[in-house]
Amino acid sequence: MASQALTRTLERRGFAVRRFPLFIGLCLVAMALLIVVHIAVGTLDFSPTQIVLALINQAEETLHRQVVWGLRLPRALVALTAGAMLGLSGAILQTITRNPLAEPGLMGVSSGAVLAIVLFIVTDAGGSIWQGVDSGLALPLVGMVGGIASGMLVYLLSYQRGTVGGTDPMRLVLVGVLVAGINSAFISVVLLAARADEIQRVIRWTVGSTSGRVWVHWDTIWPVAALAVPLGLLSIGLANVLQLGDGVARGLGLRVEWARFGLLAIAALLTAGAVSVVGAVGFIGLIGPHAARLVAGGDVRRLFPLSVAFTALLLIVSDIAARTITIGWLGLITGLDIPQTAGLPVGAVTALLGAPFFLFLLLRGKAAL
Amino acid sequence: MSSAASQVRDGGRFESARVSKVSLTASILLIALFGLGVLALMIGITQIPPAEVLRIVFTDGGERVPRIVIWSVRLPRFVMGALAGASLAVSGAMLQDALKNELAAPGLLGVSTGASLVVATIVIFNIAIPLGTLPIFALVGGLAAGLMILLVTRLTRDPVRMILVGAAMGALFGALITVVVVLGEPEELRALYSWLVGSLIGRDWQDVRLALPWIATSLPVSLLFARPLNLLQLGDDMAEGLGLRVFRTRALIFVVAIALNAAVVAVCGPIGFVALVAPHMVRGLLQTSDSRQVLPVSALLGALLLTGSDLLAREVFSPAELPVGLVTVVIGSPLALFLLRRLIGERKEA
Repeated sequence: MASQALTRTLERRGFAVRRFPLFIGLCLVAMALLIVVHIAVGTLDFSPTQIVLALINQAEETLHRQVVWGLRLPRALVALTAGAMLGLSGAILQTITRNPLAEPGLMGVSSGAVLAIVLFIVTDAGGSIWQGVDSGLALPLVGMVGGIASGMLVYLLSYQRGTVGGTDPMRLVLVGVLVAGINSAFISVVLLAARADEIQRVIRWTVGSTSGRVWVHWDTIWPVAALAVPLGLLSIGLANVLQLGDGVARGLGLRVEWARFGLLAIAALLTAGAVSVVGAVGFIGLIGPHAARLVAGGDVRRLFPLSVAFTALLLIVSDIAARTITIGWLGLITGLDIPQTAGLPVGAVTALLGAPFFLFLLLRGKAAL
Repeated sequence: MSSAASQVRDGGRFESARVSKVSLTASILLIALFGLGVLALMIGITQIPPAEVLRIVFTDGGERVPRIVIWSVRLPRFVMGALAGASLAVSGAMLQDALKNELAAPGLLGVSTGASLVVATIVIFNIAIPLGTLPIFALVGGLAAGLMILLVTRLTRDPVRMILVGAAMGALFGALITVVVVLGEPEELRALYSWLVGSLIGRDWQDVRLALPWIATSLPVSLLFARPLNLLQLGDDMAEGLGLRVFRTRALIFVVAIALNAAVVAVCGPIGFVALVAPHMVRGLLQTSDSRQVLPVSALLGALLLTGSDLLAREVFSPAELPVGLVTVVIGSPLALFLLRRLIGERKEA
């Protein structure tokens, strides 16, 4: 496993470990700065001072206030929160499966949530979140049911009676990939029943997109985050014991399967909350926790908070990239009919970052496979 | 795998017994395929009695309306399904043996997704390509993923890792497909989406003409690789020792297998799981993994499976038609999970 590298990192007791609260503080500062950058980029240019003035309601022009408060701030906050949730979810999944490759997307949790939400929207033709109607918490809850169902399916199918671990990590991910494939086939079929103009928006959402997320969406995502993130952080003790291995955990009196199921449910809730608003942003729950592990080591008490911070930062940065990179030039080069201002959905950016990273994890000799 | 080797040693009576078993299985499959064909041409919104079907297909007779229904709608769709099923199954059988990996299939290795990306790009942007060359472009996309897998075989021989590399490639290409798809016209999206699941709905002789040349050349070529495939089943070291240039042979096999798959993707979309399941069923039926027998019988069984699935896709929610890819996913994925169970079990023992 990466454990050798980890122990080495731990022995050195890097800055992040020695001064952990300070480090988290630095992450928060970075977040604030990146939110300002996130707000600054776009078709209408703002200077940082204008943004800060607009944010504290002292803007010189009402337009600034409207753009900043009405459009860009909610998007930045949604991206930040979604990243935090996916990061914690990834960290939990990696810990309970003791598998460096676990991730909401790879374990079928995201696609299960997407399938449930798409089903819900298509059958319940009205009040969908994309029409700007406040759907309340219906979508995250529906998504959570789908996510837990899918996650449980993966977990049960990969469960082996009689083996020491109960569940072989490798098997879990492979089953997850298969189940995710099945889910996406069903998603496509459900979409066939949707209206043609809705399909495009839904497709964009299935790969993960933050464009056009406003306060309505924020109202959907924050209650879930406020419920699930503290829950995830409270379960740190449980996760730490679980990480020692099933045998040791049992010896310490933990009911391993129940603990694992509880953590899975929390991870599914986190994933569903994020997915119901920004869609199935892939791989981000893989990269963030990995980076956190490299910096802070395997101790869950530090790993979880840092995964939250890192993944939130990562999604903000990806979203800034998604907003600034237009692929119109590709049209100019290839002569294809690509609109000048066409951008990438943030899910495409994270896939472009994450897939090579996943390959790297798979192919470096040390991976615990 | 050992049975293939022992068989080469034995010969004589054993060999002839095997041949008769293979030809028996093959003829049963052929008869079943024929029966299924008659059934596929019979049922539908216009019911046509079997005798009438046979008269229309094999003579100039028959009434006008059933004749048109059969010749311009049902028969081309059935033929396309049979061709696609045969190609997919052979493609899967080749990949499984070449990689010594039970789960190897174009869908799980990301090869189909790569091919789909190229086809989706061409369709969405209305790129003008010479008539009938779409399968070549799909081949290029499939080879991109195939090349990655091929390189991975140099780094690791762990079959599970290989499949996960394929999954990563699939995720990457899948995200790019979405990027391309959202740039398209909303009206086209429905057809495109149905194609992305894998569909035989509305396939006509034009589609058959598009795929047939590629399939008709690649299928016989694939049979030429039966012997190298048998050697590769013994493992890379053994195959090398027996004088096979492993990497080069495997690359050639990849090109043929991916070409077969690309022709199907170009016309019907990435239909899943037929390529994975059919070869396994054949190995079980024949009780051998000898590629010389598995490849041709797989082609027959693949054709049978896909046309059967398509019949289900047509009739389950009739008059609404499902994309056949959904039926194959529903039937194929439990089998894939079963295979996975076995694969991981073997991995533990090793």
